[in-house]
Amino acid sequence: MTQTFPINIWINEERLEKLQCAGLAHLAQEAFAGLKKLSVPTNEQQRDTILRRFPTAKFDSATTKSIELLPRDAKDRIFDLVVAKKTLDVIDAFLVSI
Amino acid sequence: MADVNNALSPHGGRLIERVMEPGKGRKKAEEAKSRLPIDGSRATEIMSIAYGFFSPLEGFMGSRDVDSVCKDMRLQSGYIWSIPIVFDISEQEIKEKRIKPGDAILLTYQGQPFAVLELEEIFSYDKALMAEKVYGTKDEKHPGVKRTHAYKDKLLGGKITLINPPRINPPFDKYWYPPRVLRQKIAELGWKRVVAHQTRNVPHTGHEWLMKGAWFAANADAVLVSCVVGEKRAGDYIDEAIVLTHEALRKSGYFKEGTHLTSILLWDMRYAGPREAVFHAIVRKNLGCTHHMFGRDHAGVGTYYSPYAAHEIFSQIPDLGIGSVLTLEWWYCPVCGEVTYSGLCGHEKEQQAFSGTLIRSIIQDGVKPPRLIFRPEVFDLVMESGDKYGFGSPFVTEQYLAKRNPVITVPPMEV
Repeated sequence: MTQTFPINIWINEERLEKLQCAGLAHLAQEAFAGLKKLSVPTNEQQRDTILRRFPTAKFDSATTKSIELLPRDAKDRIFDLVVAKKTLDVIDAFLVSI
Repeated sequence: MADVNNALSPHGGRLIERVMEPGKGRKKAEEAKSRLPIDGSRATEIMSIAYGFFSPLEGFMGSRDVDSVCKDMRLQSGYIWSIPIVFDISEQEIKEKRIKPGDAILLTYQGQPFAVLELEEIFSYDKALMAEKVYGTKDEKHPGVKRTHAYKDKLLGGKITLINPPRINPPFDKYWYPPRVLRQKIAELGWKRVVAHQTRNVPHTGHEWLMKGAWFAANADAVLVSCVVGEKRAGDYIDEAIVLTHEALRKSGYFKEGTHLTSILLWDMRYAGPREAVFHAIVRKNLGCTHHMFGRDHAGVGTYYSPYAAHEIFSQIPDLGIGSVLTLEWWYCPVCGEVTYSGLCGHEKEQQAFSGTLIRSIIQDGVKPPRLIFRPEVFDLVMESGDKYGFGSPFVTEQYLAKRNPVITVPPMEV
């Protein structure tokens, strides 16, 4: 299976409400002690493109193997795409949109 | 090479202090032949040498020490030392300032006289060799390798004297403990065993438990939190948030009064992994610590070092006279319902690892992390620090880098 590298979008009340309205609440996974996240997968090429385009983002290679510290507006855009398309497979669309 | 006792504390057996009262300093400045402005990184390294954090160093390394440190991780004197401390300069600056060995050079910072360098040697060193030996890689993406390649072509070696001690600005002033002062404080508090925690992060509960675990393991009286204050990158926590939140752990009772002290170390991280761990051990020994905690991926970056490379190096060098507390990670276990030690928790499949980066990511998303992984008092203070010191953000921004209050201010001195 191809390895994927998630972008974790952390779920606050506002985001949870949007997911619930779209019938996507099941996509939010339990993370820590009640905290929920949406894990949007990227492949290696997408990961590298994102890290290049957003220099403050970081691939946490040591602990979580996830892309973290993506600017909030970029995450908002990914989140909105998930809600609009009702799928987690949105990274190509996101990369086209930026 | 001499056979020396690396276990002596301070390192080398004598605490170096090369700080002059401003009156005497002015006289020394007047004797200098030329003036050379320096940047903030060099200024803080001078302070670390002058106050003895870097004992037994008395100045910037000469060629023999640089070579010996790079190749053998030792000074010429035989004492273990892992990171070259160098003063780089261009050929053009040397010509323009007519600098030559034997000169006393007045180093200025913030436009004021700051220190005097008694120049013993001007030399070149193979930067590629230095980078590879110190960082174990040639990859220029490694921040330490990149830093080394950015050095100008010549290096100046010689003793330094701080002639105009700077003011440490709030909120850092409360946490500035030079080695002599800290050693005195440790004695006054009656602490016999002090374990150092190196950090460049706001503490989450994983860090808190690393410290508490180290306290148990070392049978320590106290934990010394040594916050690295230095070069920042966009997206890091601002320095003010780091020091204030560590103190908040004690103020909020997560550490009892008398068991925890927050301090700062002025240092630009090199991310040299195991070599930097050795450097950290020496500096904290100089501060008076008896133990140093090393966790997973200590001073590492990316995947250049194995997660426990910093643990392995201490078995390959002589006793440094500071105990190494080597710990695995703490993770959140949903079965245990708590942050727990990976060496003890049997729920490997269920465990949920978290890191400082992950917590930053949560906060950046505008989400308050659960109290089990991030203390609410710490969260509130992170946000307050962002408002007070970070131009609205607890994370380093371009605005913060350009406009932040300086950590040190050099007072005026007429020469």
